[in-house]
Amino acid sequence: MHTDAAPHRPSPSLATWLIACLSLLGAFALSGCDKPTRDVYQPVADSAEISAWFYHLVLAVDAVILAIVVTILVVAIVRFRKKPGDEELPPQSFGNMKMEVAWTVIPTLIVIGITVPTLGGIFELARKPDLNQKIIEVEVTGKQWWWEFDYAKEKLNTANELHVEVGTQVILNMTSADVIHSWWVPRIGGKRDANPGRRYPFYFRPYQVGTFDGQCAELCGASHALMGTRVIVHPKTGADSYEAWVAREQQQAQKPATPQQEAGQKVFMTKGCVACHTIRGVSELAVGARSRTSGPNLTHVGGRTSIAARTLPMTAQNIAKWVKNPQAVKQGALMTNLGLSDEEAAAVGAYLASLK
Amino acid sequence: MSVHAEAIEEGHGTGSLGVPNLKLAMWAFLGSECMFFGSLIGTYFFYHDHSLAGPLPKDVFSIGITSISTFLLLMSSLTMALGVDAMRRGKALRSRNFVWGTALLGLTFVGFQVFEFHHFVTEKGLTLATSLFGSSFYVMTGFHGAHVTVGVIWLSIVGWMIHKGHFGQEKAINVEVSGLYWHFVDIVWIVIFTFVYLLEFAK
Amino acid sequence: MASIADFARAPAPTYHMARPPKTGLMDWLTTVDHKKIGILYGLSGLFYLLVGGLEALLFRIQLAVPDNDFLTGEQFNGLVTMHATTMVFLAVMPIIAAISNYFIPLMIGARDVAFPRMNAFSFWTFLFGSLLLNSSFLFGGAPNAGWFGYAPLTGSQYSGSGIDFWWTGLAMLAISSMVAGVNFIVTILNMRAPGMTLMRMPVLVWMILVIQFLLAFSFPPITVGLILLGFDRTFGTVFYQVSMGGDPQLWQHLFWLFGHPEVYVLILPSMGIVSEILPVFTRRPLFGHHAVIFSGVAIGFMGFGVWGHHMFTVGMGPIADAAFASTTAIVGIPTGVKIFNWLGTLWGGKITFPTAMLFAVSFIPMFTIGGLSGVMHSSPPIDLQQHNSYFVVAHFHYVLVGGALQGLFAGVYFYLPKITGKLLSEKLGKVHFWVFLAGMNLTFFPQHFLGNHGMPRRIYTYPADAGWNTDNMLGTIGVILMATATLVMVYNILTSWKKGKPAGNDPWDASTLEWMTTSPPPVHNFDFTPVVLSERPLWDHKRTPGFEIPVPETSESIHMPSNSWRPMLISVCILLIMVGLLTHLWPLCIVAALGIVAGVYLWVTEPA
Ligand code: HEA
Ligand code: HEA
Ligand code: HEC
Ligand code: CUA
Ligand SMILES: [Cu+2]
Repeated sequence: MHTDAAPHRPSPSLATWLIACLSLLGAFALSGCDKPTRDVYQPVADSAEISAWFYHLVLAVDAVILAIVVTILVVAIVRFRKKPGDEELPPQSFGNMKMEVAWTVIPTLIVIGITVPTLGGIFELARKPDLNQKIIEVEVTGKQWWWEFDYAKEKLNTANELHVEVGTQVILNMTSADVIHSWWVPRIGGKRDANPGRRYPFYFRPYQVGTFDGQCAELCGASHALMGTRVIVHPKTGADSYEAWVAREQQQAQKPATPQQEAGQKVFMTKGCVACHTIRGVSELAVGARSRTSGPNLTHVGGRTSIAARTLPMTAQNIAKWVKNPQAVKQGALMTNLGLSDEEAAAVGAYLASLK
Repeated sequence: MSVHAEAIEEGHGTGSLGVPNLKLAMWAFLGSECMFFGSLIGTYFFYHDHSLAGPLPKDVFSIGITSISTFLLLMSSLTMALGVDAMRRGKALRSRNFVWGTALLGLTFVGFQVFEFHHFVTEKGLTLATSLFGSSFYVMTGFHGAHVTVGVIWLSIVGWMIHKGHFGQEKAINVEVSGLYWHFVDIVWIVIFTFVYLLEFAK
Repeated sequence: MASIADFARAPAPTYHMARPPKTGLMDWLTTVDHKKIGILYGLSGLFYLLVGGLEALLFRIQLAVPDNDFLTGEQFNGLVTMHATTMVFLAVMPIIAAISNYFIPLMIGARDVAFPRMNAFSFWTFLFGSLLLNSSFLFGGAPNAGWFGYAPLTGSQYSGSGIDFWWTGLAMLAISSMVAGVNFIVTILNMRAPGMTLMRMPVLVWMILVIQFLLAFSFPPITVGLILLGFDRTFGTVFYQVSMGGDPQLWQHLFWLFGHPEVYVLILPSMGIVSEILPVFTRRPLFGHHAVIFSGVAIGFMGFGVWGHHMFTVGMGPIADAAFASTTAIVGIPTGVKIFNWLGTLWGGKITFPTAMLFAVSFIPMFTIGGLSGVMHSSPPIDLQQHNSYFVVAHFHYVLVGGALQGLFAGVYFYLPKITGKLLSEKLGKVHFWVFLAGMNLTFFPQHFLGNHGMPRRIYTYPADAGWNTDNMLGTIGVILMATATLVMVYNILTSWKKGKPAGNDPWDASTLEWMTTSPPPVHNFDFTPVVLSERPLWDHKRTPGFEIPVPETSESIHMPSNSWRPMLISVCILLIMVGLLTHLWPLCIVAALGIVAGVYLWVTEPA
């Protein structure tokens, strides 16, 4: 028989396989090293829990399928390797109808097995909370690059850090003032897009007290990476309760207590900050209906744990740094650099940080 | 010349399916065009009644005038069919006349559209930027108009080639294919006219 | 017994051409030969693979450590957008186009594609579109709204001129793809050698036929989307203007109505290549040949009904979510049929492992991993967490890199000897394979964890305390491995082209028509038109008495199309229209449009 075939080289040696497998295994072992703080599969709210449940279901199914495929593959490779010198042709089989049917029908059943509960999960996640019980309803507006939280019933407006109560249902009504953003706090639950011109709800009920981080999950411009958010789940009672937080937030802003803070307030009032920021009881020039202020409400900014959408921790120095040059902290930040002096910045930092 | 050598003479072979390449290509292209106009018309309906500012369709459409231009376009399909038929039977001059006639009718249709657009912009204050209606209406009908214009140019060239004796009966496929295109453009207009213009007044 | 040496007996064909052929550079610029166009596509695709990889390398350096400032957010977004756009439209699709161009006519026993000049037009339009797109780096910055460019971020209020390059460039690529789609549909359906029924067509040809339909029918929606975007940015229409009532979701529907079929455009040819390679190196026919074909067709069809699975977080409502979830999960079934038939092919074969086979075999588990994570995404309760996280990045790189790209690498090692006439070095090939496989898994497997640990995609920086440091560092190490491996491949191609071992007509003892002619094939492909009697014509010729491909006694007379400037001329005019739109130079647009009319007239009147 004449063939023009080039000589086939010997197949990779066992050593090559081993080294490759071992180094990969080593790498994967490493990949579990860090301690994640935003693990999707350590849920603290019902929404994330439903997701986690489905994840584990499909993960198990997938693992079995992958194991079957890889097993067959490995066995075939090992068993049916051509022996040197063996030039005979293997049996020429063109297929097998029974097997075709089997591997069409079985996956179909698996798909049905996954899809039917999934449909349940979709409607479960979309189910409206019981309106007869206590509900915290928040209007969430994504803006380049921060989050506005408006508690209409409680008549308070805050930014970036969402406060809720353990065991109480929450409705977030998502929208956006500019481009599309997506609100995602992994341990609370799956993300929801904040679409301009639309208002779409996301429901969850947290069951663990604590602070949980997340961030915007839809590309929204230069500082999309710095559009963090944080959920603070308060206990039902005690000094740190949700009700106590609401009561604090509803108060007017604190009066300056030191000369520096006094100076800071003056800077705030005179340097143009009021065009974009509200401090209730001090300046409400920018206040209006939801979404009309172009900067976050600063009435209780000192009570937040971070500034500029979790870009910097909350300290007077950091506020000063931010105010002096917002774009240096956050590229493209939509807050004007008003050219404050170091002194003015420090004063305004001290003042704002005192607004607990 | 073998079947294959012949087949690669662009489009003039009859190929494995028994359909000339050129015709098959035109059908595939028109399938693609269906998705194109489907998306444009879909966009129009996606935004139907979403405009925040007037004028609205009812304020600007004048069914009478558009009916005339629609009628002309419909007639052009007839003349096109006659032109194709004439060419199939080898009557080149007759075919040329019908093809040019079709182009002329198409040109009139485009003229009507230019007039309509002009009227909408100047008299009714509807521009591309006025509202979603303005945007989606002009872009949809504009792209249709552009297709008609392409068709007019194409048919003029086809007519010219017949006139010059380049397209005889053996190349009837060239006329036929331009006819396919022309009928398609016509059908798209029927859809637009029915669903965009007429339905507006059906409610 | 018969052998392929028989074909040398055929008498040399006689030629005629309308004009004398051109030579040298002029020949390449005006060529209408599907093989030369294939090579042009291939070289451009390979070049852009390096560019797209370099972009990935750059942003992976940025992501190697937390709080890095190697790149700014804008630069990072630009690199990510261009990485994806380059890889999808300028690397993988052109390499697919290269293989389709070079091999479809050979595999179906034809002399060329149905419309050789249109083919050249597709290539030049692609090339100019790609240059236009990349020229944005020089003028005012790369597009940076992500590869799916969601409105309204692409609107003129929110982004700069990069987006103008993006929509005009993509529009040119769309034109190129739609034209190519029509051309290949006709070629495959209509130009098969006598006896080559549809069911005797090689699986690769089938898969490419399916993707041509996908191209022809899925590019129009995105073209419309881009036109609306272009009109918004250029002429002040309000399609995506929220303040005027516009709804950005329109873009999402138009994009994904294209985008999902597009991912199958990227994978099906690789599945075809795998289906061609496995039988050759197991020495058996493809198990369930028809099932593999039908499942490919089914995947193509279903691909049009699942686009909403990219939009589960948008708020389409539970009914729509449920519908898209179901249709999406179903796509796994025909895909599984393919996987199991490949396993069936391996089972009981006599397997050898040249590099092409290594890539083809590793396609199976790598693609399966990606496909199975796709099945996770198809369930909205899961996807709400995974959407726009690194889990999705892991999913699509397993299918795109582990699947599409590895399949194409397999194709390079398998088919390149036909093009160059030289074998690639197996030693370097194996280095390429193992290093690439390791790098790929090192980069993309940990990304599953990153996604599960809450890392969103497209973030240019991340804090040190989120627990993402190791996995990101692994990802950067992995891309260095992949880059090294890719450079090894490039070196291998270049050196073997010059001084590789001669391949001979049929280096792999294969079974399809392309191996029947010389390597490289003559301009006219085959000295005579082969008559096809089975789905393995060459195999049966060599081994099955009674199935020999008849070699004619008389010579054929062949008409070959001559070189032409017309295709490039029209492409240039389209480019000028786009440039006019970009720069608001309307007279340029009008002149170029007239140029197209003139070009078309010259085209139709040019003697073939
Ligand atoms: C080559 C490209 C390719 C391919 C083939 C696929 C294949 C699939 N993809 Fe993927 N996908 C992408 C490329 C691709 N995808 C890209 C680029 C994106 C992101 C775009 C972006 O956002 O930028 C994406 C995103 C994406 C999403 C959106 C995620 C999100 O953004 O939230 C979803 C959701 O359903 C999805 C699902 C699927 C499914 C179900 C398949 C199926 O076709 C897979 C089928 C295969 C198998 C299932 C494995 C083999 C089968 C068996 C062994 C049989 C047994 C199996 C079962 C019974 C289940 N993909
Ligand atoms: C077919 C498509 C394809 C391919 C092949 C790849 C290949 C790779 N991709 Fe890509 N990727 C996408 C399609 C693809 N990607 C898409 C669609 C997105 C989404 C974008 C978006 O969000 O909008 C994405 C996004 C994406 C991200 C997420 C970015 C983010 O969200 O922030 C990452 C991160 O690691 C990544 C990494 C890689 C790597 C390491 C490779 C590697 O495989 C690359 C390997 C390297 C090479 C092949 C070239 C090496 C050669 C050199 C470096 C030498 C250069 C020398 C000269 C030029 C002389 N890709
Ligand atoms: C042009 C409007 C504008 C002006 C003027 C302006 N800001 Fe801002 N400010 C913003 C925006 C927008 C943000 C949110 C930026 C971000 O996080 O991306 C912001 C954020 C802040 C924050 C962080 C708030 C938080 O909740 O994290 C502080 C503090 C702040 N500004 C103080 C000031 C001070 C002090 C001045 C005056 C010296 C000032 N701003 C002037 C728009 C403005
Ligand atoms: Cu907001 Cu990303
Ligand atoms: Cu998809």
